[in-house]
Amino acid sequence: MLPFLFTLSLCCLFNALIQADGHYRERLDLTPLTPPSLLASFQFWGNSSLKSYEQQHFRYIPRSLGQSLQHSRTEELHLRFSSGRWDDEGWGAKPHQGRKEGGTGVEIWAWVKAESEADSSLYLLHGMLPREVVCTENLTPFLKLLPCKGNAGIASLLDGHKLFDASWQSMAIDVKSVCSKDEDLCSIEMEQTVDMVLDIERSKRPRHDPIPRPAHKESLLCDETKPYGTDDACFPSEERRGQSWTLAEIFGQPMQGSCLAEDQSGRVHESLYLHVPPERETIKPEHAVESKSESTSVRTYTPNATEPFDMVLSHLGPQTFNSHELPALFASRSITGHGQERGGIQTLLTNPSLTTTIEFVYFENLPWFMKPYLHTLRSRLSASSTSDPELIKDTIYRPALDRVRGTQLELAISVPANSTMILTYDFDKAILRYTEYPPDANRGFDVGPAVIKILPTTSGSRDQQPQQQPSYIRTTSLLLPLPTPDFSMPYNVIILTSTVMALAFGSIFNLLVRRFVGADEVEGWDFSYARVRIGGWVLTLRDKYLGIGFGIGIEKEKKEQ
Amino acid sequence: MAPDRGPPSSSHSNNTKNTYLVYAAAALLRLFLFGAFPGAGALLEGRVEVGSCVCGFKARTGKAKTTSTPQAPLLLALFSLIPTPHFHLITALLYITLDLLAAHALVRIAESHQAERTRLFKSPRTGEGWDSWIIPAAYLFNPFIIATCIGRPTSVFTSLAILWSVAHAVGDKPMSAMVGLGVATYLSMYPALLVGPMVLLGYDRQEEEKARIGASGKRGDEAEAAEGNEKEASSSIWLFAAKHTAVFTAGLAWLLYISYILTGGSWEFISSTYGVQLLVPDLTPNVGLWWYFFIEMFDSFREFFLGVFWLHLGGYVGGLCIRLRKQPLFVVVTMMGIFAIFKPYPTIGDTGLWLSMLPLYRHVFGLMRYTFFAVSALLYACLLGPAFYHLWVYAGSGNANFFYAITLVWSLGLVLILADSLFAVLRDEWEVERPEMRGKEIRQI
Repeated sequence: MLPFLFTLSLCCLFNALIQADGHYRERLDLTPLTPPSLLASFQFWGNSSLKSYEQQHFRYIPRSLGQSLQHSRTEELHLRFSSGRWDDEGWGAKPHQGRKEGGTGVEIWAWVKAESEADSSLYLLHGMLPREVVCTENLTPFLKLLPCKGNAGIASLLDGHKLFDASWQSMAIDVKSVCSKDEDLCSIEMEQTVDMVLDIERSKRPRHDPIPRPAHKESLLCDETKPYGTDDACFPSEERRGQSWTLAEIFGQPMQGSCLAEDQSGRVHESLYLHVPPERETIKPEHAVESKSESTSVRTYTPNATEPFDMVLSHLGPQTFNSHELPALFASRSITGHGQERGGIQTLLTNPSLTTTIEFVYFENLPWFMKPYLHTLRSRLSASSTSDPELIKDTIYRPALDRVRGTQLELAISVPANSTMILTYDFDKAILRYTEYPPDANRGFDVGPAVIKILPTTSGSRDQQPQQQPSYIRTTSLLLPLPTPDFSMPYNVIILTSTVMALAFGSIFNLLVRRFVGADEVEGWDFSYARVRIGGWVLTLRDKYLGIGFGIGIEKEKKEQ
Repeated sequence: MAPDRGPPSSSHSNNTKNTYLVYAAAALLRLFLFGAFPGAGALLEGRVEVGSCVCGFKARTGKAKTTSTPQAPLLLALFSLIPTPHFHLITALLYITLDLLAAHALVRIAESHQAERTRLFKSPRTGEGWDSWIIPAAYLFNPFIIATCIGRPTSVFTSLAILWSVAHAVGDKPMSAMVGLGVATYLSMYPALLVGPMVLLGYDRQEEEKARIGASGKRGDEAEAAEGNEKEASSSIWLFAAKHTAVFTAGLAWLLYISYILTGGSWEFISSTYGVQLLVPDLTPNVGLWWYFFIEMFDSFREFFLGVFWLHLGGYVGGLCIRLRKQPLFVVVTMMGIFAIFKPYPTIGDTGLWLSMLPLYRHVFGLMRYTFFAVSALLYACLLGPAFYHLWVYAGSGNANFFYAITLVWSLGLVLILADSLFAVLRDEWEVERPEMRGKEIRQI
């Protein structure tokens, strides 16, 4: 008994002495976008002091990730999983100014310290996997990195079926160290973000019955001015009207309380932020705390730590929507040309602002089998037909090495107000080896998106706020069809080509090695001699089996011979 | 034996007049094609049959002096000197000049009559050959050569260097021949295989000229001089070979050194220029046999088959030199044929060059057996090749096998012509000892 108590107290003392510090916070932002859609942003922050991180006391930063980062000498890590397409024109600027978004598929960049002890510089490594299909098997380990493992708090709303049915989703992990002014107060911060744009209509379909069914005629929003023949269908109304939804309908289950909402000082943090105008009506459960602010259109909710939390946004009452922020730049990129020998890239960059010129850096990382010709790079404004080299301020180009690295192209561009810039260049497609093609070779290869970094502006304009931090935009990824060989043919190709080579070598070898003789000078196989002999046998057989009737003919032949 | 200096002067001047007419007509034709069809250049230089990845025009103008380009640095330097505003015109004139120079080299080879009689051999069919102005016409009006001129690949430089080296060798200037061969090897690797035949050709011509000068100089004591000559011949050929191989190596080394300096003191250009030829990393379709073979090859067997293919290419020259010791010029012509079929990145320019050198042996054309069949196969391949390439790469309705089959037919047609011409020359050689077998059926045992 006594030794047990002693050990226990020793453990508690030990624990108290070396307790890892840091804190954890989470937040969910719900923003209805143009009526069918809802933007849900889940953010989870965990940090710990640098000292406890280095001593491997992991509390809010998961051990699996922390130890991997320490082993690989990574100072900073940014990992992104994205799929879907963000509708610029309908939904406005990307959440978090595009800083928490990656290209379609998986994107990673990290600052890694050099291998040798002598070299203390940091290297930036960047990689993209545009072909990767992001799905539940990426979500599950993501949730396991959270302190509550996705069982409590806002993470309990995340379900693979709903998340990957969204129009656009992005999961992000950022780990970086933040130091205050004095060097000994450094901490490691880890931020996990899940953004998704849900189509409300689609998300409300229950899990057990996901088949879309036609709406009942009473619930249709009809345009009364246009009559229609039948009773159960009509022309849709232009009027935007939101739907009512509850958290359980959209996400599949209500929120299971909160996760570590109480911090060290005892204050409970709000976890749900709803961005709707004050006129919209919501219904919440009694145990939750709601706070509205009249100046901004944000309502915050603090759920009870143990009770499940659900809320309703009603479609009753005035239907007003927050106007969305215009993106600073519209970018779209596509492949031009036909055939599988060569093609071209065309990028359209539109500056919607009426007053300010926009400056940005356009970065593209092309795979090695796409070989661009930089001397064909042309930039022009859509209004003019001649190329204007003034638009591109600076170029950094690193050519590809076959099967080693791809092409890196970085352009500093400035687009004047209210204009569209068209950037084009040609490229050649390479043909690859048999084993380098993916299983579905005729689908094509995925080319990662172009990353556009909009540089911070110092002065604001009428329609945009001055940006202190750069914001990011990514174009869509491209599908590049390459010429394919016939994959069923390796053996046949080897034997056919070898046959041609053997025929050539055999003919020439025979000619060089053998000597000429006259046709009649050689013993053994002599074709003319063989012909005479066989002719004689045929005649003998004919005489034997066809009898004397031909005797006269044979006599005649013998006389002639 | 004093070589017959050829026909009397009136038909010789006729020849010269006709030769210049041919040059003028060819230059005018090319100027017309360049001028009237400005898009033809861009079309042809993009075609895989005309410009392969190592010698294409766009590959040259597009890439600066980076390590990824497979061009020889001196060529890049030459092209960077051409001012940009009149680039098209200047390169057109340059390529027309190159074609005319190559034709002139062919004229020199034809006029030396080395095809019909060498130091050790005189064909029984001397006199049945064509006049020497027909040879450059066969080269300049060959559609493959015209297409190559319009498409402007860099293989033309290598062809010109080889032709001039042969012309110098038959003109009793073996040192210049070796330097020319060094230039050709610097530009593409494979002319290195021509060192052996070129040494033999140069040696034969040198001995022939020495004998001619000796015979015209002093008439007496010929038997003694001949005996002494024979004893010296066997050792002097090795001396000759060693000396001229050293000249070749020195020329090549000097060119490599200049390239080393031009690329800013690095040897990286070697791996990008010669490594591309040797290891075949780029598998762009062309008229050869290598690309599809190495696409479909699994990686573990790659090195083995690369070795086999290079061994196959290099294995012919030894046997040919031994068997055709008496006619080293024909060894060169046959090797040009083997290059056109079996080198890693062949183009129709290489085929056109070889087919234009074959008329030097017009006197043995009567002995060839499969001319119709081979020409039909080549015509078939010429017509269907571009069509099947289009079906595969652009229309998407055919697949790579169509184009691959056409490359096989093309190669087989060329192999047939090669083997047939070799048979014809060997039979011609045999008929010197057996003149009664002319026109009779023969067999090989």
